[in-house]
Amino acid sequence: MSERRTIKTIISEHKIVFLIVIILITGVSFGTFFIFDILSARNPTRIILATTTSTYDSGLLDYLLPEFTQKTGIEVSVLPVGTGQALVYGENGDVDVILVHSRSREDAFVNDSDGQTPYGINRACVMYNDFIIVGHENNPAELLPNDNITTVMIKLKDSIDVGNSTFYSRGDGSGTYSKELSLWSYISVTPDVEWFGQPEMYTETGQGMAATLQMTYQDTDNKGYTLIDLGTWLSFNDTYITLKNLAESVVGEDKLLNPYGVIPVNPDLNSHVKYSSVLKFVGFLTSEYGQNLINSYAKNGETLFHGAFGICNSTHNCPTTEEEVIFWTNYQQEFT
Amino acid sequence: MSNEIIEGILEAIYLIFTLNPEVWSVIEVSFRVSLTSIFFAALVSLPIGSFIGLREFRGKRFLSNLINTFMGFPPVVMGLIVFLLLSAQGIFGSLGLLYSTTAMIIAQFLLAVPIIVGTGKAAIESVDPALKETVLSLGANERQLWWELIKHSKKSIIAGFLVAFGQAISEVGAVMIVGGNIRWATRTFTTSIVLQTRMGEFGMAIALGIILISIAFILNYGLTRLQGGDK
Repeated sequence: MSERRTIKTIISEHKIVFLIVIILITGVSFGTFFIFDILSARNPTRIILATTTSTYDSGLLDYLLPEFTQKTGIEVSVLPVGTGQALVYGENGDVDVILVHSRSREDAFVNDSDGQTPYGINRACVMYNDFIIVGHENNPAELLPNDNITTVMIKLKDSIDVGNSTFYSRGDGSGTYSKELSLWSYISVTPDVEWFGQPEMYTETGQGMAATLQMTYQDTDNKGYTLIDLGTWLSFNDTYITLKNLAESVVGEDKLLNPYGVIPVNPDLNSHVKYSSVLKFVGFLTSEYGQNLINSYAKNGETLFHGAFGICNSTHNCPTTEEEVIFWTNYQQEFT
Repeated sequence: MSNEIIEGILEAIYLIFTLNPEVWSVIEVSFRVSLTSIFFAALVSLPIGSFIGLREFRGKRFLSNLINTFMGFPPVVMGLIVFLLLSAQGIFGSLGLLYSTTAMIIAQFLLAVPIIVGTGKAAIESVDPALKETVLSLGANERQLWWELIKHSKKSIIAGFLVAFGQAISEVGAVMIVGGNIRWATRTFTTSIVLQTRMGEFGMAIALGIILISIAFILNYGLTRLQGGDK
């Protein structure tokens, strides 16, 4: 007690000196960080990419980005978030470019109707992969290998309704979650209405793909199912041995195609984005060289992503416009 | 960003007054988990803490150091340990407790025990030794002495409960790992805020933050009053 009082007296006697010292120390340290941050933020050789967990967790970006950096000297910092968050980052101008998979929300992101300034410009279709349904091998919903996706969804719903199965949903605004909702909508089901407040039937994890797969695997009664993109699944199927891809024929089915789009953030809205470096990045991804790299990336002998620039069409749920192809051709030449 | 904060405040008011079922589910889970775990932790820890504070024995210093270390145990590591014990491949996997509020209570309980033991021990030790002698000279047995000391250090002990409660309600890593952030079942304030931020729903995230802080404030205020209104 007495010691504290002495310190107090010293401080109160030299109030001004202490104040100045504290202000100086904080000022100098903050200033240094601040200047450092500003300098690195202005650095055009480093761009920030917000993307989905699937492109990151599957290892694709780790495979592609070193090639890009080697060719251009531009480094790419990756923020692996969900499609929903990547779009928000783009809207706020916190990142330079986004790589996401939810066509309807991508279209809203580049929407320039009614004279409004779009958040992003010159969207390009880069690649696609597939979604699959995985579940425990004892398969309570009795999915068959040659069922089509509509049959799969009906069987799942019936099995959930009688308490034999549990569906694990991302429930987090990700591209995978959007896709899941669209699959339920094919059989006129809105999960939030159908199984409102019943997590033992329809479990919304609110977490990433890897965590959701883990939760499906840990399901106490071995009755969990989930929707997952093939890329992430192939990275984990060795770990979760009792989970199986139960409806094999759905691979490649149109409704389950998962197209990825890359969108530069609009420099008219956020003048600080490094648009010229982003143009090179998208040029790289969509060039023949980049597309071949994407096609050559495989895990356990299986190709995870298929290059789709210029060949994406409405069957892929991702129509490409002629302007898109012409625009990006100029930026691809550097890489072919 | 400032308009998002205002939006959050408005949304908080709206969510509370419309009795939003999702917000109520989150409030209910958060408080049930925190209060239950603190209740059981107090039940176990208070006798242990006061015993260590009261008695002198070999290895007391070592034990005290151990308790102090565990008071700062990283919650995510505790989450991981409980996860491994409860997972399908773990020792207690057959109980099927993973991703339930019980799993969350277990993790929070284990985190709270060292805090309440440590603060309880310190509270008993800080009582004036003269009081101890007086009580004993009046012919009290050990149990009566123990009860007197508890009564005298009531405030410090309640402060210990508050610290443990504050840690439990604001913890995010462990409850995310063992609870799984399941909507309507194991989603708490903190895990919900993580999710809303990830989805870019800043208004909802701020709203939940404001509700959490307000409720914690009211609860703390009540408990401080309980500590004794003499000051």
